[in-house]
Amino acid sequence: MADSLLSVNDLCVRFPTDRGVVQAVNGVSFELEQGQTLGIVGESGSGKSVTAKTLMNLLPRSAEVDGSVVFDGRDVTELARRGESHFWGVQMTMVFQDPMTSLNPVKRCGEQIAETLRYHLGHNRKTAIAESIDLLEQVGIPEPAKRARQYPHELSGGLRQRVVIAMALACQPRLLIADEPTTAVDVTVQKLLLDLLDKLRRDRGMSMILITHDLGVARGRCDDISVMYAGRIVERSDAETLFTDSRHPYTNALLRSIPRIDQPSHTRLDPIPGRPPEQIDPPEQCSFAPRCRYAQPDCMSAVPELGGLMGLHSFACHHPSNTPRGEQALAANLEAGQTAAGLHIHPIEEAAH
Amino acid sequence: MAGTGKAPLRDRPDVLLSVEELTVEFPVGRHEVVHAVSGISFDVAEGETLGIVGESGCGKSTVARSIIRLNEIRGGKVVFEGNDLATLKGEALRQHRPNLQMIFQDPISSLNPRRKVRDVISEGVRVWGGGKGAWSQGRIDELMHAVGVDPKFGDRRPHQFSGGQCQRIGIARALAMDPKVLICDEPVSALDVSVQAQVLNLLEDMKKRYGLTLLFISHDLSVVKNVSDRIIVMYLGKACEIGSADELYEHPRHPYTRALLASIPEPATTVDVSEGNIDGELPSPINPPTGCRFNTRCPHADEICFEVEPQMEAVGDDHFIACHHPVAVSISA
Repeated sequence: MADSLLSVNDLCVRFPTDRGVVQAVNGVSFELEQGQTLGIVGESGSGKSVTAKTLMNLLPRSAEVDGSVVFDGRDVTELARRGESHFWGVQMTMVFQDPMTSLNPVKRCGEQIAETLRYHLGHNRKTAIAESIDLLEQVGIPEPAKRARQYPHELSGGLRQRVVIAMALACQPRLLIADEPTTAVDVTVQKLLLDLLDKLRRDRGMSMILITHDLGVARGRCDDISVMYAGRIVERSDAETLFTDSRHPYTNALLRSIPRIDQPSHTRLDPIPGRPPEQIDPPEQCSFAPRCRYAQPDCMSAVPELGGLMGLHSFACHHPSNTPRGEQALAANLEAGQTAAGLHIHPIEEAAH
Repeated sequence: MAGTGKAPLRDRPDVLLSVEELTVEFPVGRHEVVHAVSGISFDVAEGETLGIVGESGCGKSTVARSIIRLNEIRGGKVVFEGNDLATLKGEALRQHRPNLQMIFQDPISSLNPRRKVRDVISEGVRVWGGGKGAWSQGRIDELMHAVGVDPKFGDRRPHQFSGGQCQRIGIARALAMDPKVLICDEPVSALDVSVQAQVLNLLEDMKKRYGLTLLFISHDLSVVKNVSDRIIVMYLGKACEIGSADELYEHPRHPYTRALLASIPEPATTVDVSEGNIDGELPSPINPPTGCRFNTRCPHADEICFEVEPQMEAVGDDHFIACHHPVAVSISA
């Protein structure tokens, strides 16, 4: 696809450790078009942050990376090898989870933004400071001139995150990667920050990758969503379809396990049994199979490929839910009382809604 | 959001724990104090789950910690089974401690990393000697089994368990004391979404099995609604709205409650999304606003809100709010 801004192909990231090689990302591919927002949703350890850090060239040296990342026709891994420094921070920037640790505590907020402008764009000190005040205003910080002279600890969490966003936007990036940008803040602040990111993205025609563990956050803010589990994308579709017609049993189970505000109190939750797998020497099987209600013998012997309607709605599952094949598998498992992985299952009590 | 006043207190024989005008202040610097909790009143009936919800800094954890006297209480009462825990001291206070147990937010750091989990669970009982829930290997196994941790892993240490399992062990430790009240301070906030539901279901099961009364603190409105019978919404050390869980979500009356419900990623349908746009910052608890504490951010605030502190008043069946300008809601039967 020639018109995509970012194209990631079969990305694999491995970390050698004392206990073995951790397969953090295991064959991730996706495309992102100019102006689009992609949500990457997953639990801790699913590889979503490692994917982001790979794009940003922020992995530790020990990491082994395979696969290709192409940004607007340029090979990003090649840029990294050449030590190109005016790519990250200019074309592609990132907002991290914790605004306290991503700001320098002993530097005034305005200077930190100005530093980016001076380093990448060669602004002189005076214009850089003036522009950073302008940026602070754009991200909705009241009294920007005063705030620019303050240190990060003098600002609340929400304001600090706005400073980080201002810094990320300083060089007019074409892609912004936001890694759990609102996890450390309260709900009222979260809404304002997400609204802000949405507005800035639209105004600038920027692309965005929004990484979050919160399906609700991704739903309202993304065009497409990829769900990651154990280092792979297990399902990808446009945001609405994922919530109304999910096919991967993991997505399905995740949606069912979250308490919903529109359910009456004391609604029995339907948790996912077990816990996410270790990614050291993963067996050749579907990584969700041990926790899956649909698991069949073939799930235990072959890793499912991402299939379905490529580009529209794809999922990596041998027995997708909401399909005849999947429902047969589930019915057979329910009859046997257990899955091929030996998980004991019972019929779900239908929720009241 | 002022919310002083004892209106929400119920006159029922089955009230187990009653907090009256609790005030907690922490000194900072030379002459300043943080007004962490300023005159909050509520009660919990036996077998009930009370949810406390609010943003960080609203004093919800301080309320919980004050009840079990983990911090000094400046004023007010904490009445448990006829005794005021706020004034008890020494042995008299100690005698009450097993009845109120707590589980904490960070499941891993709340367990001693150097001890086997079996010893972590049984420590309280051993300290207490025979009397309450006497210590025995069988009982520890039973508890571990109840919370879903295989007793054969009893000799492992906390770091060998996942966060979800550590939280289960924390629950077992609290249950070992055979408490009447279990205080849960953000028990699932540090857990992954897929594990969160397991722990919430477990708490519900344990509540039934051991006849517990729960105080459940969280910033996550959906989670609080799921577990609670009644909910208190707190803001800057005061209560704004108290009501039954379903009523509070169906007919939220306080502007702050509505703002919270409108701010969550998938907003409640009973409020308008625009109500979530509350500007400004949480004021400093060192110099809280006079009048209603929410007046700096409230879209409905007028003169009276800056001068007079609203009192808790009943606005419906078991539904109380502290606001001069409650939002009208249509109540369809």
